[in-house]
Amino acid sequence: MRRILIIDDEDDIREVAALSLESIAGWQVYTACSGAEGMRIAATELPDAILMDVMMPAMDGPTTFKEMQKIPDLAGIPVVLLTAKVQGVDQRRFAGLGVAAVLFKPFDPLTLAEQMSDALGWN
Amino acid sequence: MNSIFLAISAAFIAGFAALLVAYRSALRRADKLAEALARAQKQTAQDQNALQKRKQLDTLKDEFISTVSHELRTPLTSIRGALGLLSAGVMGKVDDKALNLLRIASTNTDRLVRLINDILDLERMDAGRAPLHLRRCSLSELVLQSVETMRSMADASEIRIEIVPELQADPIVFEGDADRMLQVLVNLLSNAIKFSPRGSSVRVLGGYDGENLLLRIEDRGRGVPTDKLETIFDRFHQVEASDARQKGGTGLGLAICRSILAQHGGSIWAERNDIHGNNQLGTSFVLRMPRLVAASEVTPLPLAPQGAILVVDDDAGVRQVVAEQLRRHGYTVLETDRGEQAISIATHQQVEAILLDLYMPGLTGLQTIERLKQNPATANIPVVVLSVLSPAVQTSDSQQLLSTAQGWVQKPFNESLLLAELGRVLHSGTGPGRILLVEDDEDLASVVLSSFEIEKEHGRKKGGIGIHHVSNAADAKLSCESNPPDILILDLTLPDGSGFALVDWLRRQPALRTLPLVVYSGREVTAAEMEQLRLGPTQFLTKARVQPQDVEELVLAMVRHLRHPVLETWPSVETRPA
Repeated sequence: MRRILIIDDEDDIREVAALSLESIAGWQVYTACSGAEGMRIAATELPDAILMDVMMPAMDGPTTFKEMQKIPDLAGIPVVLLTAKVQGVDQRRFAGLGVAAVLFKPFDPLTLAEQMSDALGWN
Repeated sequence: MNSIFLAISAAFIAGFAALLVAYRSALRRADKLAEALARAQKQTAQDQNALQKRKQLDTLKDEFISTVSHELRTPLTSIRGALGLLSAGVMGKVDDKALNLLRIASTNTDRLVRLINDILDLERMDAGRAPLHLRRCSLSELVLQSVETMRSMADASEIRIEIVPELQADPIVFEGDADRMLQVLVNLLSNAIKFSPRGSSVRVLGGYDGENLLLRIEDRGRGVPTDKLETIFDRFHQVEASDARQKGGTGLGLAICRSILAQHGGSIWAERNDIHGNNQLGTSFVLRMPRLVAASEVTPLPLAPQGAILVVDDDAGVRQVVAEQLRRHGYTVLETDRGEQAISIATHQQVEAILLDLYMPGLTGLQTIERLKQNPATANIPVVVLSVLSPAVQTSDSQQLLSTAQGWVQKPFNESLLLAELGRVLHSGTGPGRILLVEDDEDLASVVLSSFEIEKEHGRKKGGIGIHHVSNAADAKLSCESNPPDILILDLTLPDGSGFALVDWLRRQPALRTLPLVVYSGREVTAAEMEQLRLGPTQFLTKARVQPQDVEELVLAMVRHLRHPVLETWPSVETRPA
């Protein structure tokens, strides 16, 4: 069973994404509502992958990702960014970060796990 | 179950309506602000303050569109997710009636997402903020790709898509943005399929008419009434008000197609199939746009140097970005991550210029450049240093590099800077500065000419710069042929044709296609036009915004830069479209 950490400041989206990964794919899901909380949970749970929102107050997704790369335990965890920004400039910026994949909102809850698996080479 | 759905859908509709109203009124406010600003600018053309405000407004609009896009998508993400999970039975089995309601809500959420995408797309295009990524495209390849994309939709409606054989036999190529043109074709095919009766066929025909390509997508639908053939290209103007609901369209598809074609210098229109007197049902949508004339028809038209540009950097990400930018502008690109390999490639293949990173494992950039310069086979290939270091940093290495490299681009760099520097080293002007001014307005020409003369009287160094003035395109061609200039200053409206045609002609001349160009035009140049006007390093100046004496300053800076590449930074001016 895969263990996934979802980091998103929007309660509703966190809940929908968690439900989707739990009930459609049967994965074990941890959630965090900020980059800082996400890093704490990631350090104790060491999930197989992290699904993280881009726009968050305080520390946004790209910043959190960069911070994680400085911590040896966290640097190896693949990160999938989830973004509502679809403009070309934004996409290119995210792609240049070195994350495993960038997925777009709105996502399809029935195929979210599949998209993540594809991106992470789990299939 | 139903109450959950009702609550969700009510919240969703109310929320979206409010957001859409807020969005549109905010856009109207932004447009009004832009209009007011445009008026203000006319009154005070020289007012730098207005220019500053305009830039701020452009930035604000960009941020606004990006934010709106994000804010609308966020609630839709929850709604779509919740509906999807409910209909998948995650919360227990759903009875058929409720399932149908959930399906309706899901379908309409998807439509809303498409609508938001389309509105934002149009706004960006209309504001000139969706520049085209031009490359050589094959019409038949794009058609096949779009047909493949629409295959499952066509199969579901039992509609055959016939590609008329000639289209595949005759290679028609054009310079365009493949993604955008694919968007147009998919949109037209999707319309054709939606409005065709089950079991019928949609035909795709292609051909050309002189320098334009033609593409026709023909359906067997109910036909568009004659008085609506034009209005269907307006926003939210469908033939029947109920079409959007029944067919799932956004009412913006054709407006987007028309914008994309206009950006490509082409046009799109609709025709009734019975226009030629036969009783054929249905409608045809016809695209017409400039094509590249095939090699067999005329002499080859090289858009880039014959040899390749070699990119040497151990960072694959940087290589990829640089290669993509260069290819988009017609260059052939070779890549390697090692200095040793770069030397081998440069020795054995035709390389026009080398873009070189300084810090690499194995041979460093400095060692690589030394070996390149020692080898007679590679000594004359211009090298542009790509480095996070500024050329102004005084180290012994950088001093040595300054004396051996022909150019320097500091990372992080932007596309235009890179292209300008590359164009400059490829052009490699060494003689005295010769400026050609092509301007039909004699008064303006004499002001520009005299601004160079005044300079002389003030005793500042002119360094043998000569300026020559012609007032039409024919004379400009003669002058370029007999005595090629180092820089061309070009007005876009000329008595015997447009500046565009002159730039096209220059591109076809091997010795002139990387000529530094200053476009000095009476009106704002759009992003698409900028692409058409690019030669070597190209600057765009608008007459209302830039005074003749500033032109002189910029041109002199360009001349200095041509001679002492690394020490002078490339002059920069406002190059954004309005």
